[in-house]
This record gives sequence, C-alpha cells and structure tokens, in this order.
Amino acid sequence: MTTARAAAIVLGKELRLEFRTRELLTATVIFALVVVVLFSFAFDPTAAESRRYGPGLLWIAFLFAGSLMLNPSFAREQNNETLDALRMAPISSFAILLGKILANLIFMSLAELVLVPVFAVLYNLSLAGIVWRLILVLVLGTLGLTVTGTVFSAVSAHARMRELLLPLLLLPLLTPLLIAAVESTAGLFAEQPALDRTWLAFLAGFDIVFLTASWLLCDHLLEE
Amino acid sequence: MKARLAITALVALLIFCAGYAALFIAPDEATMHAIQRIFYFHVASWNAMFCAFFVAFYASVAYLVTGKRKWDALGVSGVEVGVICCTIGLITGPLWARPVWGIWWTWDAKLTSTFILWLLFIAYLLLRGLVEDPEKKASLSAIFAIFASLDIPLVYLANRLWRTQHPQPVIAGGQGSGLDPVMSKVLLLCLFAIFCVMILVLVDRYRLELLRNEAAELKFEIESRGLDAAEGATTPALQKGGL
Amino acid sequence: MKNFEFLFSAWMVVWAVFFVYELSVARRITQTREEIERLKQQLQQR
Repeated sequence: MTTARAAAIVLGKELRLEFRTRELLTATVIFALVVVVLFSFAFDPTAAESRRYGPGLLWIAFLFAGSLMLNPSFAREQNNETLDALRMAPISSFAILLGKILANLIFMSLAELVLVPVFAVLYNLSLAGIVWRLILVLVLGTLGLTVTGTVFSAVSAHARMRELLLPLLLLPLLTPLLIAAVESTAGLFAEQPALDRTWLAFLAGFDIVFLTASWLLCDHLLEE
Repeated sequence: MKARLAITALVALLIFCAGYAALFIAPDEATMHAIQRIFYFHVASWNAMFCAFFVAFYASVAYLVTGKRKWDALGVSGVEVGVICCTIGLITGPLWARPVWGIWWTWDAKLTSTFILWLLFIAYLLLRGLVEDPEKKASLSAIFAIFASLDIPLVYLANRLWRTQHPQPVIAGGQGSGLDPVMSKVLLLCLFAIFCVMILVLVDRYRLELLRNEAAELKFEIESRGLDAAEGATTPALQKGGL
Repeated sequence: MKNFEFLFSAWMVVWAVFFVYELSVARRITQTREEIERLKQQLQQR
C-alpha cells in the first residue's frame, strides 16, 4: 500500500472519529473566541488599532487554540494502546503521521473558517478583495502549526503533564511562524492590501523544513 | 586526575588573562567608556552558547542513528551548558543596556531571538524531567533537540527581518565591524577563554550523566537479581533433601 | 570608571554562574561515584 493511500485511510479514520461528536472542533472555536474577547478588554480597539493589533491577536488565538486542540491527536491513542495497533498495520509510520497532520490541518482550517469572519465583524475589518490571499496565508501558517503540533503531540503523549508540556514545547518553536503569519496578514489588512512575498516565502520555507524533519524522524517518533 | 587538575589550572589562568585584558589592556571605547568592556564576555558567552547547542544537535542526531546512550548523555550536557551560557548572555545584556540606553530590556532582534532560544531549550530540559522511561526520554529529547536546532536560524532570520522594519536604538561602537585591532585581539582571547570554560563544564556534565546511567544500570541489576535470589533460595534445600 | 557597578556585576555574574554550576556538577559526580561503589558492593553480596 502506498504512503498516500495509507495516509488517506488514517485521515478518514481521524475525520470519522471527530465528526461523530464534534466536541474537539466546538471547543476549539469557542476557546479561540474567548481569547479574542479577552483581548478586547485588554486593548480598546478603535479602527486604527484594530488594523495594527488585529492580525497579531488573530494568530495568537489560533496558536493557543491549536496547542490545546492538537494534544488529543496522539494522547487519545494511549488509552487502549491503539497506536500499537496502527503500527502493526503494514503501513509506514510517515503515513500514520501524515494522516494525523492532514486531519489536524482540516480541523484547524474549519475552526478558522468560522473564526476569521467573526473576527472581521468584531474588529470592523473588511475582508473584501483579500479573501484568496488571506486563505493562502492561513493555509501556510496553519500547516506549520499542525506539522510541528502533531509531532509534539506524539512527543508529549509519553510525558506527564502533557496538556501543559505541548504548548511549552510548541509555542517557542513557532515564534518565527507567528512573526511571518502576522506580518503577512497585517499586510493584507492594511489600507493598501499587499501580499508580502518575503514573509510568504518564509512561511513556505518553515513548512518545508519541518515537514522534511518530521519525515526523516517519524520512525523514531512512533517506535515503542 | 593529574591531567584534569593541570587542565583546570590552565583554563583558570586563561580566564585570568582574558579578564585582565578585557578590563585593563583593551582601549577605552569612545562613547560608552568602561561599560563597553562587558561586550567581551557578553559576545563570548553567546558564542559558547551556540557551540554548546551545536554539540547537542550533533549528539542528538548521533543518538538516533546509533542508539548508543553516551550520545544522549552528551546531548543533555550540551543543552544544559548551552542554557547556562544563554542565561549569562541574557543577564549581561541588560547590565550593559541599562547604563547605555537607560532601559533594562529592549525587544531588538538579537535579544528577542536569544530569549526565545532560552525558552526553547528550557522546554527540552522540562521534557526530559517529565518522561520516565529512559529510552523514551532519550529518543524523544533527541527529536525535540533536532527540531529546536533547526528552528535556531529561523528564529534569528524572522526577528532580523521583522526588526529591520521598526527602527531600533543602534549599538554604538561595540559590534564586529571596524573594531580597533587591540579590541579584536582581546575579543578573540575572551572568546577562546569562555569557550574553554564551556568545554570544561560540558565534559564534566557528560561524565556525570555517564555515571548516573551506570548507577541506574546497577540498580536495575540489583532489583532483577533480588527477585532471582528469592526464588533460588528454595533450590539448595531441595538438593539437600536428596530427591 | 564610569558605571563601574554594572561592569563589575556583569563580570561577577559570568564567573559566579559558571563556578556555581561547575561546583554542583562536581559535587554530584562525587555523590554518584559513592553510590556506584555502594551498589557494586551490594551486588557482590548476593
């Protein structure tokens, strides 16, 4: 069985599992909204400030929500030792990892699909004319988040205090991604929307580096 | 033992010379005068930090490739010593900034990046503390160390790109380009001296880790023998019974 | 010297941190060595 096919099967399993209850998705969206509302108490957003702080706030909400959402990815495989069962199947460990990464990418993207319009309304920012470019930035940024987050979910699944450990491992590592994503998004929300090529290239580079590292290290990551 | 004592004495002498050079031989800097001399230890400790983290990266890869525990021991030593050097850099930085700029901290590219690095490798040490099984601890921390090391250039690049968009206080004098020749020599001496101190501490920490592994193996041996001793006690009695 | 307190504190910080760390490592090495001797003796008794 090819890696792509195996990954697709794992992806299907993850999606089916989540869509039975949708509890993770709902919790993620609500949490991100809570973060957005909390920030509105910390800063009083007038129009000019929304443009400046908005993108940063949006991505911080995604990062926080993501670090909570990515935890169960491997943590729940510990319960009935289902990860061992997965590994016994004749598929590569990269297929398992890739399936989970793609599943998490889809979940985060669905959450963002809900959050971005809400955020635009709350902070009076216009999405007109920048939608496709914004989607590009969101996809590249979220990909970096889910690749590293899924890997660290596998790492922290073996540790105590994993709910606290995952953000601790993930967030410092993601600061370059945060900078790049915020700057790209800010460029799009500016009065003359423009897509910054440098930051976009940086995001793509970030994703490639860590996707490659995950591929090289996946056997060690999932071994028992 | 004797070799070790000799080396420690030599490094101590090196430190003394470097310190003396930094404080008295190096010429006084035009704008900042005496306080600029922190620059010699400050830059030297960052250099030592990068070397230590590189050792950790190399050791982590080596561990995953060979599976030998000594590489894991070297890895954790590298990270711990690197964090120590990073802490020194992060403390001497504000001690320099305060008299020169009047503020303890600024979010300029280098300081921010180094602070992130500090957090990143502290997370490594926390990870190790929270995983109990020794083999899992070794392989998981090796994986994290590799990811963290790959992140280092990205952190610095991102902060550089970002910070050039926002004007920052320029550090007068002090930075590498166009250094007075005496200053360069003193800087090289201090770089070498602190590098040697770092290596010394690293080797000691490595030895400690190897000893700890040995102790753990002995404990494990005793525990498993302990069980066998309890079962084996019945056999001699049966033999004496002459069955 | 101007700002001597800051220069001196920085100097002290560098050496104090390295020195304290080295001391703690050396102490733990001695402790672990003793523990190993103890464990080895325990093993020989069985």
